[in-house]
Amino acid sequence: MWKVYKYTMLDLARNRFALGYALLLLLVSIGLFMLEADNTKALISLTQVVLALVPLLALVFTIIYFYNQYEFTVLLAVQPLRRQSIIRAQFLAVGTALLGAFLLGVGLPVMAYAPGPIGWTLLLTGAALTMVFCALGMFIAVRQSDRAKAVGIGLATWVFMVLVYDSLLLWLMFSFSDRPIEPVIVPLAALNPIDLSRILIMLKIDLAALLGYTGAVYQQFFGGLGGMLLSFAALMLWILLPAMAATRAFARKDL
Amino acid sequence: MLRTPTVLLLLLAAFSANARVCEVRPGGGSITQALAITADCDTVRVHAGTYLEGTITIQRPVVLLGEGWPVIDGGGVGEVIIVKAAHVTIQGFVVRGTAISDMNDHAGIKCISVSDIRIIGNRVEACFFGIYLSSVTRALVAENRVIGDRTLDESRRANGIHLWKCSHVDVLRNTAMHHRDGIYLEFVTDSRVSYDTSAYNARYGLHFMFSHRDSYTHNLFHDNGAGVAVMFTHEVTMTDNRFEHNRGASSYGLLLKEINDAHIERNTFADNTVGILLDGCNRATVIDNLFDANGWAVKLFANSTATRFEGNRFSGNTFDMTTNGDLVMTTLTGNYWDRYQGYDLDRNGKGDVPHRPLSVFALVTERMPYAMVLSRSLMVNLLDQSERLIPTLTPATLQDTAPLMHPPHG
Repeated sequence: MWKVYKYTMLDLARNRFALGYALLLLLVSIGLFMLEADNTKALISLTQVVLALVPLLALVFTIIYFYNQYEFTVLLAVQPLRRQSIIRAQFLAVGTALLGAFLLGVGLPVMAYAPGPIGWTLLLTGAALTMVFCALGMFIAVRQSDRAKAVGIGLATWVFMVLVYDSLLLWLMFSFSDRPIEPVIVPLAALNPIDLSRILIMLKIDLAALLGYTGAVYQQFFGGLGGMLLSFAALMLWILLPAMAATRAFARKDL
Repeated sequence: MLRTPTVLLLLLAAFSANARVCEVRPGGGSITQALAITADCDTVRVHAGTYLEGTITIQRPVVLLGEGWPVIDGGGVGEVIIVKAAHVTIQGFVVRGTAISDMNDHAGIKCISVSDIRIIGNRVEACFFGIYLSSVTRALVAENRVIGDRTLDESRRANGIHLWKCSHVDVLRNTAMHHRDGIYLEFVTDSRVSYDTSAYNARYGLHFMFSHRDSYTHNLFHDNGAGVAVMFTHEVTMTDNRFEHNRGASSYGLLLKEINDAHIERNTFADNTVGILLDGCNRATVIDNLFDANGWAVKLFANSTATRFEGNRFSGNTFDMTTNGDLVMTTLTGNYWDRYQGYDLDRNGKGDVPHRPLSVFALVTERMPYAMVLSRSLMVNLLDQSERLIPTLTPATLQDTAPLMHPPHG
């Protein structure tokens, strides 16, 4: 498995898209910090970019890379190698590359301009989101034999998680506004990895407002170390479940 | 208004001319004796030591001076010092040991129906009420440290500096902490509260009602249970105060309820759940204030009329402004909003397109507070952006017609 990992990594290191992704993130991050005099404000803008852009690019890159590597994968599959280890190695390699690009593109500027609790939370959640969407991308790519279809499904997944899910939540709130829906909304929001990451970062930024009305619910749900651990455990699940599903699907796939 | 320097000069003159001084030392006479009506002195100088004399009542004009922080301990039975005569000065004491009661307002230093009182530079420690003035005209309460017992819960605490039916009182450079309300005024007119610090009180840092024509300047109110709340008053001036770090579901930097003709200038509201809330306020002028990193910088209820916001700086707030109605009779002009996205083609420092501080999402959270979970999501951003382009949901009248391009005063 580690040999496959190594060769995939070597290939990824020469991948222009991965390098471009890192540069894009770096450009956006530094640009925001340079444009905005107030570093905290820049960090907030960066949060929005990271929450939208990182999942999208991680997803699309993983899917496309899987298809680009398809012939090599088939070649590997005929060798005396376990199929699980092939797909795991590929997932880990793509994940490492994306993670490296993220830490280079966002991590460096954040550490340089605005280190602090908000920055750390942003990096942690951003890294988790990278892996989550890499795993999701793997799963989608393995399940679909048609490349265009897979990219389409990936985009749809992204739009759903970043936009449609929140709209549904808002619709739910409006529909049930005369019922005690509050205890349901927060766990529901936490089910979506993007929302969960956003809430974790927001807990650091908008604390004053959050302590207003919903304070109690928030504090119960996310407050303290326990809530933080629970949230990151949820993100870990979001990585593990699709990754395992992808492995299983790949093991049974007719290549 | 009482002129502090003049009075001090007069006092000095009195000292040097024909002051008859009684000296009180531990084991050498009691304060009560020295204060007796028959005693032949107008100044009582008390030397360091602890004096346990029950309640000390002052019934004649006198200057009570502590040297080396003598402690007057009430022994926990009732009041510690009661002033029942005009022209009394109390200075330089540590006062402690009131009773806590649900029936009586026991205080460290209590003045009842008198005038020309000076309470200066005392330390009132762990008292039920700290300094209590009732029906007092012309008084100076200055440089006292009124520190309550932080271990008690709210129902066992009372107010630090408590004024009831007073007029022409100066409350200057005091510190009030760990009480119920730090500074409390009811029916207090023509008075001044300046350079005070009121913090960590269980309820309000400053609380006043029916107290007209008063001014509050250069005070610091922070970390109070419910911030500052003031009600049913007209002609209030609040300038150069700082309202900081008042956080909680019903906590306000400054809550104004039924306040008419308030003038609020150059204050700082930072890190509060709600910076300033206006409920039923008429003709409030809010100018040159700084609103920074609050949850809601301004909550403006629609029952407020003729309010004017000018030259304020809004930065880093989760919401800059919310309201609960459609018709808002408020003038916004020349404020700086860090969310403003307009341009300034004629380079006059003011944006060419109006700014609407009220976002759709702010309105949504006003109706459904738990919608806060969606804050800063892409969907909410899109919603706010589209409303900014084509305003349909937010009140059309609530807009800054000349938003500043750069923050005022740096």
